[in-house]
Parts: sequence; structure tokens; C-alpha cells
Amino acid sequence: MENSNNQMAKVKQKKERTFLQDLLNFQGSLNGKSQFLDEVRLKGAEGVRSTPFPTKKLEDWKFISLRDLYRDSYELAADVDVNVPDFSEHYLPECKNSRLVFVNGSFSEEHSSMDALPDDVVIGNIAQLAAEDNDLLKEHLNKYADNNFEGDVFTAFNSAFLKDGAFIYVPEGKKVDTPIHLLNIQTDADEKYFITPRTVIAAEQNSEVTVIEDHVGLSDNKYFNLPVVEVNLEEEAYVKHTKIQRDSREAIHIARTAAFVAKHADYESYTITRGAKLSRNEPRISQRDEEVEFTVDGLVLIDGEQVSDTHSVMDHRFSHAESHQLHKCVINGKAHSVFNGKIFVQRDAQKIDSFQENRNLLLSRKGLVNTKPQLEIFADDVVCTHGATVGQLEKDELFYLKSRGLNEQQARELLIYAFALETIENITVDSVQNLLVEEVRNFTKRQLDSELTV
Amino acid sequence: MLEIKDLHVCVEEDGTEILKGVNLTINEGEVHAIMGPNGSGKSTLSKVVAGHEAYEVTQGDILFEGESILELEADERAHLGLFLAFQYPVEVPGVTNKNLLRQAYNTIAAERGREELDPLQFEDYAKEKLELVDMKPEFIERSVNAGFSGGEKKRNEIFQMAVLDPKISFLDETDSGLDIDALKTVANGINEISDDENAVVLVTHYQRILDYITPDHVHVMIDGKIAKSGDKDLAIKLEEQGYDWLIEPATASVNGEQQ
Repeated sequence: MENSNNQMAKVKQKKERTFLQDLLNFQGSLNGKSQFLDEVRLKGAEGVRSTPFPTKKLEDWKFISLRDLYRDSYELAADVDVNVPDFSEHYLPECKNSRLVFVNGSFSEEHSSMDALPDDVVIGNIAQLAAEDNDLLKEHLNKYADNNFEGDVFTAFNSAFLKDGAFIYVPEGKKVDTPIHLLNIQTDADEKYFITPRTVIAAEQNSEVTVIEDHVGLSDNKYFNLPVVEVNLEEEAYVKHTKIQRDSREAIHIARTAAFVAKHADYESYTITRGAKLSRNEPRISQRDEEVEFTVDGLVLIDGEQVSDTHSVMDHRFSHAESHQLHKCVINGKAHSVFNGKIFVQRDAQKIDSFQENRNLLLSRKGLVNTKPQLEIFADDVVCTHGATVGQLEKDELFYLKSRGLNEQQARELLIYAFALETIENITVDSVQNLLVEEVRNFTKRQLDSELTV
Repeated sequence: MLEIKDLHVCVEEDGTEILKGVNLTINEGEVHAIMGPNGSGKSTLSKVVAGHEAYEVTQGDILFEGESILELEADERAHLGLFLAFQYPVEVPGVTNKNLLRQAYNTIAAERGREELDPLQFEDYAKEKLELVDMKPEFIERSVNAGFSGGEKKRNEIFQMAVLDPKISFLDETDSGLDIDALKTVANGINEISDDENAVVLVTHYQRILDYITPDHVHVMIDGKIAKSGDKDLAIKLEEQGYDWLIEPATASVNGEQQ
């Protein structure tokens, strides 16, 4: 009996460890349409075969369980037959003609339009650009992800199944006025499926662009979303990157963002996490030269049994950088938030001014927060401020607002809203800001209407 | 309008008794000053009247227009027309003065059967009130008290009072932290707001605000009780002589022997 139990345990363990690796035997990993993409896929597949998927035993993964991901079977999204409902409510008015839409990971020409963008901006879906043997795509794709996520099995997995995604190239001196909306729609499906979208943003010298990366789950089905985003900023470039994650409440979302910032360039990233049962964001920002600025702010709003994990790396490699990270979480129910923010200041990186703060608002007794700011500073002339707080709504604040005539619900709503707003304020696309304000309001209302706070 | 009867109050958390039988009656059109040394219970009285949950009323009652308000929440008391200007107003970053006050104004208006104001109407109304405390119109666009100087916070409290138009206001040390010009401005604002139909209770440590606002009644609170009441001359006497003459000689002992 004991033997049989051991055997079963072994089988189970093996299965859990190798399910995603097994997927690689699938012939579909090469499509023969682009030699270049096939090479990327083969390299990715090799990476997955040689790297085990992480488990809780690893320090960086100890707070979250990936059992759901390893245990279940997922099919390639392309093989899943679905009806595509009308999702035009998710369009942004500012991006009427600057929108790339992907439905379950595949480009939808029908729903996309790029007419508002200048002709010299190269924008399109990776599958087509690869089929056309586009040189710019070949120059940039997989360069930054490979560099910042070497040895990372999920990045390799994204490469191994790389099928499509968005490519944005802004030429030297070009300032793109219209924000670009990358709308990733996940439909309802009976089968569990996985998608590996890739986004590449290459901003040449003195160029400017605003990109909204939007992940929408239309239903509450289960799927695995593994997006990898690569951003490169040449000298004096400015990229404003807003990511909205509102995947299905059953989805697993594991994301990587690799950004490289050259001299006098400015990268601003705002990540709003609302959806998914389990989400993990890993932004890694690297300085390519002196005198850069970057921002990696985040807002997490989770409840029920949602888990959200942010592991960020801010890598200061050269002198004179200003970096900013404000990561705020509102947690209710049995939700669990993890934050691990690494700030590296390498030996030659003097005169660094780095700000990092993680503030958590815990609305329920059963919610959980793990926060771990990590500073590794090898230079001596730097200013790094960091802090982490976990708190509840202050009684004095509630009393103040109530004494002005607001009832308990109004007062709580206002305080949660105010807490969350700080990140949203910096998002300059009006409809996105309004959308997020509404998200916060709905989230807050739901918390107050439910009994989860008890 | 407000009647405080034999009010005994302790801190809910540890049971420390702070108010030990306060009696006070405040009528329409009156200005009262409650003075007293630190720790005598003045701020506690203000908070208890406003409905702070940290305190427990163990005995006595608070009647507003003849009805007990002890069971009412802070917001319900505000709806009736009670207002507290805080000694330490809290900061609420992210919420503008305008948004908070319009929501508060309309909630109270709905409760009192008054007309609610739309954002534009409210802005005009609020800007008029800002002039009372000599504040610039931009002030209402700023987050509630966030990054305000001490003086600005106090002015903001009086501005809120002007907007919400309460029947009775407890102003808890509104004069502290103000320079002489700001004190005059704040006092003028309070004088403008006071009329025959409302009442103001100035809770203060010093007499100086009373140079600008003439109280009808002055009360001295010592050790959780009103030790003495009088007219404005009492405040002047307190300024000259301090509070010692009102404090009952405590029984002291040295080395176990009664002195």
C-alpha cells in the first residue's frame, strides 16, 4: 500500500513538473511560415526542455502555488473553436484607428485599424511581419526578453509557442500623438487553452509613443495567459506603457516585461491588476546608459480568492538615474497579494535617486499580504528610499468623513477610492483613466455590498 | 438647542473616565467658550457630541432639540446639523475638497429636505464661502488637507462649516497654530457665519480668539467637569490668573503624611 502511494506520488510529481514541457512535443510548435520565427520557437523549446518549471521550493515562488497550472491540461488557443461575441464596448474612443486586436492570441484584422498612425511608424502583427521577413522585427524580437529573462522558463515557453503579437516601431524623431490600444480579448471556451502573446515596442531616438496593453476576459472560463512584452528606448525616447489586466476570474496570468532605457530616455509603466485567479507580473527595467528616468507603478485590486504577485527588478547600471515605483494593493476576502521589489544599484551607478513604496490596504481579516522590498546597492553616492505598509482604513479618517455627513459606506468608498487613485491619476488617456476610476468604484462598491469584509 | 446632562464618558478601550458629569445648555444665537487646562476633557466633549466611537457614554444624556442623540452615528448627527471643526483635521489625499464637500452637502441636503446642488451650482456656492475665510478659489480643487499648512487646515475647517451650514458647531482649538492675521481671518469668518439661528462652541486653551469673537458664556472645564461658568469677563480673569485658582486643592502627601 505504502509502495503504491509512493509510486502515485512520484507519478503525480512527475506529471506536475512536466505537463507544460510535454506540450513541446506538439508538432505545432513550428509552423514553417517564417524561418526566423521557427528559430525563435526552437530556441524557446530548448530553453523549456532544459529548465524545470518553478515550484514553491524556490525563494521567488514560495508564496504562490502553480498547481492549477501544472495539473490541468491546456490546449493551444488556435485549436479552440469559439464564437466571437461583440466586444466593441472594450474599444477606446481615443484609439478608434490605432488599435490592434487579438482574439485568443490571434490577430483579428477585422477588428483592428491602424489608419490614424503615421506611415513611417511600423505597426502590425508579428505573424504577418515575420511572414514578410521584416528586418525590423528580426532586429528587435526576442532581443530584450532574452537578455533580461535568460534562463526563465516562462519566457522560453512564450518563445516556444510564439505565434502572434504586436510589433510597434517608432522611427527617430517621431512623436505619435494617438495612443495605441493593444486589445487582447479572451473569449469563453469549453476547453482550457493557453496563449503566448508577444509585444515588441521599439522607440527610436527622440521618439514618443503611448501604448495601452489591455487583457480582457469576456467570461469566467479558465485559460493560461503568458504575455511577454519587450520595450526598447533609444536616446531621448519616451514610452508610456499602461497595462490593464482584467482577465477572467479563473484565468492564470503570468507576464514578463523587459524594458531597456537609453540615455535621456523616459519609460513610464502603469500596471493595473484586477482580473485572474492567479496573476504574476515581472517587470524588469534596465538602464542602458546614464541619465535616464523610469517609473514602474502598479495598482492591484483583488478579492475573493484571487492571488496577485509582483516581482520587479529595477536595475541601475549607470550613473544619474531617477526611478520611481509605487505599488498599491487593495485586498479583500481571502485574496493574497505578494510584492517583491528588487532595486539593484551597480558599482558604477552613482547619483541614483530611486523611490520604491509598497502600500497595502487590507479590508478583511482573511486577506494576506507578503511584501519584500530588496535593495542591493554597490555604489556609495545614491539615494534610495523604500518602504512597505499594510494597513486598514483609519478610524479617525472614517470619523472625520462621517462627521461631515457621509455615511459609513460613502466614507469607506471615498477612502478606498482615494487610496487607489494615486496610480490612476498619472494615466493620461482620458477614457482609460475613466475606465479605471469606474473599475475602482465598482470594486469598492462590491466590497462594501458583500460580507467579505467581516 | 443642545442640552448636555450629567454626562459621564470613558474611553472605550481602557475604561478611563474622562468626563465626570458635564452639564451644559446651549441655545440658538449663542456663542459659548469652553476653556480649561490640557487634559481636562474639552476635546473629548467635542468628539462625544459629534459621535466618536472611541468613547462610551456611561451616564447622562445629550439632547439635541429635545431628542437624545446618543444612539445616533456621527453622520446622522451631522445630518441634524451638528458640526465639529477638528483640532487635527485628517488628510485625505486623492479626494478633493470640492468632491467631499459636495457629497457631504448633498447628503445633508437630502436628509434635511433641501435642494441638492449640481457640480456647477456647488462650485459657485463654495466659492462664495471661501471668501469668508479669505481662501483662493483653487483651494477647493486640492485634496482634503493634504499638504496644507496648519493655518490652512484650520481655515479649511471653517470653510467646511460655512458650506455645511450647521445648527451648532464645536470648534476644537481652531485658534491653535494660527498667526495673528490668520486668527483674525478665521475669527471674522466665524462671526460671519454666526447668526440668531445657530450656535457656536469655541473650545480653546487660550483667551486670544475671544478678543475677536465675543462669547455670551464662558465655561471652565477642569478634570472632566464644568468648574465655573460666567460671561466674557471670566475669560479675561483666566488669562490674568490662570486656572490654578479654580482647581480644588488636591490632597497631597509627602512621605505618607497629609500636608
